Amino acid sequence: MRQVAASLWFALRSAGQNFRRNLGVSLAGVFTMGLIIFLVGGGLLFTHSVGTVLQSQEQNASHLKIYLSDNASLAAIANFESRLKSDPRVISVSFETKDAAARQASQNPDISQALSVLGSNPLPASLNLVVRKLTDLRQFNAMAASTPIVDKTTPTDYNADVIGKLNAVITIIEWVGAIIAVILMTISLVIIMNTIRTAVYARRTEIEIMKLVGATDWFVRWPFILEGMLGGLLAAIFAGAVVYAAYRIFVQAAQGHLLSVPFDGPYTVTLLALLLVGGVAVGAFGSFLGVRRFLSA
Amino acid sequence: MSVAVAERSAAPPQGALRPVISFHGVSKVYPNGTEALRDVDLAIHQGDFCFLVGASGAGKSTLVRLLIRDEAPSSGRIFVEGQEISRMARRKLPKLRRKFGIVFQDYKLLTRRTVAQNVAFALQVTRPGQRHLREKVEEVLWIVGLEDKLDTFPDELSGGEQQRVAIARALVHRPRIFLADEPTGNLDPDTSWGIVQLLLQINHRGTTVLMATHNREVVDLVRRRVIAIDGGRVVRDEAEGQYMREGSATL
Repeated sequence: MRQVAASLWFALRSAGQNFRRNLGVSLAGVFTMGLIIFLVGGGLLFTHSVGTVLQSQEQNASHLKIYLSDNASLAAIANFESRLKSDPRVISVSFETKDAAARQASQNPDISQALSVLGSNPLPASLNLVVRKLTDLRQFNAMAASTPIVDKTTPTDYNADVIGKLNAVITIIEWVGAIIAVILMTISLVIIMNTIRTAVYARRTEIEIMKLVGATDWFVRWPFILEGMLGGLLAAIFAGAVVYAAYRIFVQAAQGHLLSVPFDGPYTVTLLALLLVGGVAVGAFGSFLGVRRFLSA
Repeated sequence: MSVAVAERSAAPPQGALRPVISFHGVSKVYPNGTEALRDVDLAIHQGDFCFLVGASGAGKSTLVRLLIRDEAPSSGRIFVEGQEISRMARRKLPKLRRKFGIVFQDYKLLTRRTVAQNVAFALQVTRPGQRHLREKVEEVLWIVGLEDKLDTFPDELSGGEQQRVAIARALVHRPRIFLADEPTGNLDPDTSWGIVQLLLQINHRGTTVLMATHNREVVDLVRRRVIAIDGGRVVRDEAEGQYMREGSATL
């Protein structure tokens, strides 16, 4: 017990001493790790925010107007409406009569004038559909086209081109986000390993002496691993604070301008906790790898 | 006096005794093809004081490195206190190394630690929680004559004093075998002689000493066992030898 406590105390004190004595290298390591943690954290928050905005845009875009034939009976329309409502992919369905369509269209002065010139209402009644996923619209469009009560000339307001483009943008952003994250993670691992290796190299004599006098491998490793964990923790705290501040500023700035980006509290808390755990884990793992070469030498 | 070196009989070893160190047909070839040792056989007994002599590159350092298992032999067997170390598992190496006290030509001191901290370091990393650490450190520094330099940093000491600190560090855990690889390599003749006197004193207390050197004056003055290595082979092993045999140009 006394030995374990003394070993732990030695490792902790050595880690602190090493960190202080090699402050330049230690701070360079903390700064590098902090920068990478900031990039990863910032990247994740940015992707999350873009995802949230896109999701709301997707919901806005996930509308389909199914135009009904003028001679469709109310019973057939009700039947079709209930069939659509029972579909799990559908969020809501609302019926818009010919008159409601005309009232809606009349808000545009040009159309209002055209309608009064015509004297009759050429606008069809419609079922306004809101679906969960943008990608489902194509199937509903096809289904509408094959339904007898739907207008044969213009079955829906489905615009394959716009929806296809929006889908493509979402896919591209998702892929770019994933690729950037992978590249950042790879770069971070290489930089952290080399930073820690430099720190370990600065203390190779100490490691050599420890080996010579008969210290066990784990006894040699622990101070370095604790030091790596300390560096990772500090880096994560600084990076987390900067990410948090930047996120708040971004949300405020975005609300006044382009799009409404909601501040996601639970996601931020989870992300900051993950950054802390990640920083400590990467620090420990990097030190383990960094010191391994000198132990096996 | 209770000192860091274990009190043991300084009587010369008997033939029937099991050697504390033995090499049996040991060869070492490095990956680049250099043959550092070739078919070495030797036995060193408890309480021996041996010089290991030879020119630079003769194989002296390789022999020392094999003993502490910093290197593994390419062939042959090495025993330390009856235990074969040639194929010893890595996890057992710390225990093996604690049997030795080791000093090198370049001292290997931690410049940012004081003399006392350098010496204490060896105990802290091998016996964490050691009681009376300060007393043990002071005691061993008294043996090497540096009791008034406890809080001095290595850079403030002379070469001879730094080597004494290294010796104190190697002694503080009371090793049974003391290995010195060119301990006087960087020192002037007077200082070298002081270091050798210290090693003799350590040996007198019962610790086996193996000193690799090419310091001719020291070897010839002390008149102890000399194992001469040349081209990786043991070419001479004499109980009271000189650096070079009269009329021989071996080394």
